[in-house]
Amino acid sequence: MTTTRRRTLRAVPIKYVLIVVALAAALFYGRSRSGPQIIPHVHALFPGAVSVEGSNGVYAALDRHANPLGWAGVGSASGYGGPLLLLVGIDPDGRVVGARVIEHRETPLFFQMAKASRFLAAVTGTALQEIDYDYQRVVGVTGASRSAGAITASVRDAVANVANRQFGAQLPSPRRPFEFGVLEIALLVLFAFAIASQYLNGSVRGAMRWGCQLSALLVIGFWKNSPLTIAKIVTLLAGYFPSLRSSLSFYVLVTGFAATVLVFGSSIYCSHVCPFGAVQRCIAVIGGKNTRLPPWSVRYLRSMRTIIVFLAVLAALLVSRPALASYEPFAVMFALKGGLLQWFLLLIVVLASLTIHRPWCHFFCPMRVCENALQDVRERSIHWWRSRRNE
Amino acid sequence: MEFFNSHLFWFLEGILFCLLLAGFKVWAEDRHIPMPFWKWLLVIGWVVFAGFTVAFIGTSLGEREATAAAKGGILFGILTVVAGVVIWRLLMIGRRTGDNDTPADA
Repeated sequence: MTTTRRRTLRAVPIKYVLIVVALAAALFYGRSRSGPQIIPHVHALFPGAVSVEGSNGVYAALDRHANPLGWAGVGSASGYGGPLLLLVGIDPDGRVVGARVIEHRETPLFFQMAKASRFLAAVTGTALQEIDYDYQRVVGVTGASRSAGAITASVRDAVANVANRQFGAQLPSPRRPFEFGVLEIALLVLFAFAIASQYLNGSVRGAMRWGCQLSALLVIGFWKNSPLTIAKIVTLLAGYFPSLRSSLSFYVLVTGFAATVLVFGSSIYCSHVCPFGAVQRCIAVIGGKNTRLPPWSVRYLRSMRTIIVFLAVLAALLVSRPALASYEPFAVMFALKGGLLQWFLLLIVVLASLTIHRPWCHFFCPMRVCENALQDVRERSIHWWRSRRNE
Repeated sequence: MEFFNSHLFWFLEGILFCLLLAGFKVWAEDRHIPMPFWKWLLVIGWVVFAGFTVAFIGTSLGEREATAAAKGGILFGILTVVAGVVIWRLLMIGRRTGDNDTPADA
């Protein structure tokens, strides 16, 4: 190893090493915790069961004469924050006796909203061939699209497990349909226009930026409520990779964000596609001011942001629930749904946006921390490549 | 709390509302802000909306719905402030500059 390379490696600050080690330890701890206990849930579905036998996703609930009272099938699907596990009980006549969620990684509020759709209650008592898996109906009720979709998909998976193994039925494939709709098309078009605008100058570039932002505000924000959040990044960090069939928009957002930072040196998502950035820009136009904060307060607020993001990601990895890291007020802004913390954050950001340039982006946004980290990786890679070429 | 349901409360509120608008008229004249009818409509509309926001928070708290008061107060508070800024900028349309801006400058 040459002196130059040694110097490059030494330039990595010790704080980065500590952060990576802490996150890796949290990830290891979160993933190594024991999995869910399924047997108690089977007893809850079949209260008369004396014993439970089975494995590989199907459990038989037996009475004291070892006759089956029914079977419980485990189903899983990708939700907002990772896999969702669900147990469906089916009696010997082929009717659902109940369904219980045994593990999930959703945002608690949105999971409650998805459950409140009463889909699980509606399934109970239905013959397994007659269950309506129209998750769009559930989505229409709750607005928690990914959580609701995961619940219906996992019920379908669980029912298929029991039906195919115990009843000899050949149910249709439990795979969710490939989702390529308005959201996916809008994201691809917005990223294409945003990247194209990088090669333009003057008023056309500015007009394209306004066009992208206002379109994103309407489609990604108010219509689909699907902006990029830190939970999506933590989902990947935690090792949960949602299905490409049902989560194409997830991969377009994450890839578009990371790739544009690595290629162009700054996030095109933040400047052109983020609907919350558009909100702040519109409010800034209304306010008509551009107050500059003292440098010491900017440094302080940015340091606080890094610490908050680190703690949020650490906590989410520790409990292996990525959605917990998401503290952004996007759902409050675009769907009026969220906890009190998000409501107060929205109040602060909107009022501050009247006089300060994009306060959320500069002082609160976790994606800006990710952008800074990627920029650092980019600069170090370029520096390393140049030093290697010069040897 | 009985006071807020009494006729006296509404009588006093009516007086205060008239004083508020009369004071606003003098304030606008002092600052050479022309006030055509559409500006008056906007100002009165904003005052009513701001009153609605305060009433929403007050009645929600009266019903012991603190969460509704907080969320509704934030939502309508944001709308009130942003609408207030928009109306403020509209009020300044046609303002004569170069004259003394405030009575203190005179």
